[in-house]
Amino acid sequence: MKADELDSLPLGLPEPNVVVAASVNGTTVTEQVPARLSAADFLRHRLGLTGTHVGCEQGVCGMCTVLVDGEAVKSCLMLAAQLDGRRVETVESLAPEGALSPLQECFKASHALQCGFCTPGFLMTATALAAGGPKRSRAEICEELAGVLCRCTGYEFIVDAVEAYLAAGAGTAADD
Amino acid sequence: MTEVTFPEAPALADRDPKVLGTGTPRKEDDRLLRGEGRFTDDVGRAHTAEMAVGRCPYPHARIVRVDVSAALELPGVLQVITGAEAAARSGPIRILRPVPGAPAIPHYALAERVATYEGQPVVSVAATSRHVAEDALDEIEIEYEPLPHVTDVLAALAPGAPVIHPDVLDSNLLVSNPQGSGDAEARMREADVVVEGRFFVSRVTGLPMETRAVLAEWRAGARELTVCISTQVPHLVRKQLAESLWLDEGGIRVVASDVGGGFGLKLGIYPEDVVACLHAMSLRRPVKFVEDRNEHFRATTHGRESVHDYRIAARADGRILAMTDTYANDLGGLNSPFGSSQLSTVVFNGPYKVDDGFVERRVVVTNKTPIGAYRGYGQPEVNFAYERLIDTLARRLRMDPVELRAMNMVKPDEFPWVNPVGAVYDSGDYERCLRMAAEAVDWAGHRRTGHGPRRSDGRYRGIGFSSYVERTGYASGKFLAARGSDFGAHEGINIRANRSGGLDVYTGVSSIGQGSETVFAQMCAEFFGCDYDAVTVHAGDTAASPLNTGSFASRTVIAAAGALLDACARLRAKTLRIAAHMLGVADPDRLNVIGRAVQHRDDLTLMVPLSSVFQRAILGQGLPEGESPGLDETSYFDPPHAAYSFGTAAAVVAVDADSGEFDVERFLMVHDCGTPLNPKLIEGQVRGGLAQGLGQALAEELVYDPETGQLVNGTMMDYFAPTACDLPSVELMHTAVPSPVTPLGVRGAGEVGAIPAAAAVANAICDALSDFGVELDRLPITPELVWRALRRKVLAGA
Repeated sequence: MKADELDSLPLGLPEPNVVVAASVNGTTVTEQVPARLSAADFLRHRLGLTGTHVGCEQGVCGMCTVLVDGEAVKSCLMLAAQLDGRRVETVESLAPEGALSPLQECFKASHALQCGFCTPGFLMTATALAAGGPKRSRAEICEELAGVLCRCTGYEFIVDAVEAYLAAGAGTAADD
Repeated sequence: MTEVTFPEAPALADRDPKVLGTGTPRKEDDRLLRGEGRFTDDVGRAHTAEMAVGRCPYPHARIVRVDVSAALELPGVLQVITGAEAAARSGPIRILRPVPGAPAIPHYALAERVATYEGQPVVSVAATSRHVAEDALDEIEIEYEPLPHVTDVLAALAPGAPVIHPDVLDSNLLVSNPQGSGDAEARMREADVVVEGRFFVSRVTGLPMETRAVLAEWRAGARELTVCISTQVPHLVRKQLAESLWLDEGGIRVVASDVGGGFGLKLGIYPEDVVACLHAMSLRRPVKFVEDRNEHFRATTHGRESVHDYRIAARADGRILAMTDTYANDLGGLNSPFGSSQLSTVVFNGPYKVDDGFVERRVVVTNKTPIGAYRGYGQPEVNFAYERLIDTLARRLRMDPVELRAMNMVKPDEFPWVNPVGAVYDSGDYERCLRMAAEAVDWAGHRRTGHGPRRSDGRYRGIGFSSYVERTGYASGKFLAARGSDFGAHEGINIRANRSGGLDVYTGVSSIGQGSETVFAQMCAEFFGCDYDAVTVHAGDTAASPLNTGSFASRTVIAAAGALLDACARLRAKTLRIAAHMLGVADPDRLNVIGRAVQHRDDLTLMVPLSSVFQRAILGQGLPEGESPGLDETSYFDPPHAAYSFGTAAAVVAVDADSGEFDVERFLMVHDCGTPLNPKLIEGQVRGGLAQGLGQALAEELVYDPETGQLVNGTMMDYFAPTACDLPSVELMHTAVPSPVTPLGVRGAGEVGAIPAAAAVANAICDALSDFGVELDRLPITPELVWRALRRKVLAGA
């Protein structure tokens, strides 16, 4: 559908739709979605991956952080249509069946979560960070994590958890 | 103080591994870490409609005309509700914690004739999707007639200010509550020195990362309304919805699974909750409303805003003779269920012993978003006032501020001590915390070396302290009744044994991040004697849990501990009686619960698995003569007294006297919350509170434009919430003086961090700049504020 055709449509239903085909947590999904559906809403409400949360819809709070082609992005700022042909990983991809991943174990051991609403955002940010190499100063870790807000913990334990995870060398070679 | 007895705890000493008092892994963590939390918007129901709300864009306006006809034409729009319809179908929202003596301001779900703040709900749309519902809002025509508005608290009290609720009030003063004892004015006249100051505490938001959300589902034939909602108080939501919707409580089930932070903002119902139910009841399909963040900034209660006029009278030797505080609390445009904070009065004197005191709370209506509870509920506000002024007094008297504090603190042998407004301080060692903090920051060394400026960077160095007490929990339902509160002080707990040999704990306390599932399971395991892993906590469902109060006021553990002690004791006794019968042991007291079994204390070969005992009880066959089937105990506990947490925070700062820029180089806090049940959770709570306290100290503020009455920075982009880069590293130290008035000696820990941060930072900066005579009187403390204060002093000196 062309842009001028979109403009001439009445508001409300029927909405213009697009088809999205993406790899999500290793599974290929093909869905027809409204053109204006955000990537976050697509993951949550179409695919049932409700671990990705929505906190501000303007790319500030970081609750909706997922990996797209390995890069941490805020999925509230993307349209579902933009995921077409991309590789997406959400918090649901981290834990092996019946256990926690080493990163999740670090969060648990450090008491790095309270209400847990921001936790998926931090986990996905830390996952991207680990893929970039393990050697990070505490200040660098804080800098990297500053894209996700937390209102419960005061951050110290989150930084501890990520530091411990990176120090253990976890996740370094996972990409290759 | 009356003598109190508590349900007796079983012998706890021989547990191995110990479960209570340790940082056990949290029950909540695995699901949350795996992305399997169930927050309200994660709950799906077939055929759910979504709701969007049209809000008044003016701070004060008459609603002249509402035309929804074009919106109803849009495909996908199911229903539009206006103020008139909402008023016809529902009653006003009931207040839970009224200000004593305040008249009721009618608060309907949607504004019908007049809106009194920007963001007040005026019209609501239910549609097949949120997108369509928002499209429909664009098609609704509302004609407003803007009315004169006032957003400043003091301006609202001035003669000639527009009266916001003329049907109820003659002015914008909702009520004034004077309280005190002794003769403070006489002491002021006799005193060698009187210091006074006006302190402005900024309006902020608690900003939970999950906004409010509600999913309402109505089954007409069953007359059953199921409401999934993000709340701290499921049972109080049920009560309020029944009142507003004129329904029997029996027909309402409220479920709060995981809640993404509360901090006081999710105490009771909001207008949108009522409207979602109205939609669901007339559409006969589930209706979901998820507040977006821009709505959250305008429609969810704000906190803190107040102006304190504080005075302290003292002798030349530093002994405080009297303290008074007259403060104006901003209520906003309506009275939210918890209204403006009330504890500034209760702990107005902080940890200081003073017999002559007077406090007056004045609650003021303005054209801003309603104020509600926020972590500390008045205690951070008043702490900023009295702790700032204590330092001013020290400078006036040329005294060491630590020594001035120490000499005036209530001493360990003076408890119980009643302050001038009747608060009963239970116990503590306030001075020890202060001394520990002073030593940790090398206060003595700082006094010797002075403020600088340091040679290395030319900056001035300062250390500031803030000592505090925190009222945690409520002193019984009787105390609340005297204040007209529409809730109790108790917690109720139900424990049921299951066939797998485990215990199911049912509680109305929802999981908001505080770790109540964990600490309840720890207590249950400890008191009953079984493994921690054998306990499953089911939280936040009114259909399953006994009536209770909820998670706020740092009261949950205090009240729940009593209920758990009693329920576990009875459950344990019955378990041992049945096990004794099964094992052929005459005296059940010879048996003990170990792990997942019951075992004889002397003959260790005599044992039976808990699962066998529980199965027999549930089956109801082969029980001892006269024993009833089932293992199911419910218990309520009403704490007879509040317990006061206490401590001292200290900040070390370096300040550039040219630019006003500063760094908080160290921040530490010595804290006492009595017997620690889970040190890890306590540390998490204190750190979280400190982060919010430091946020308010350093940058958080909701700014209204007085000309337009608009919220200027009401988006996540514009409101400063601290990130991982913005907070100083926090050092924590604890003391543990058991409270004599609570089960296990616990004191609350949930709000304490929010209290002392701002005063400690402000005092540190004023200490650094004491050569200039800078006295900060407002929040947040930005470099600009410091620079302006310096500049005033420099100009005045020149």
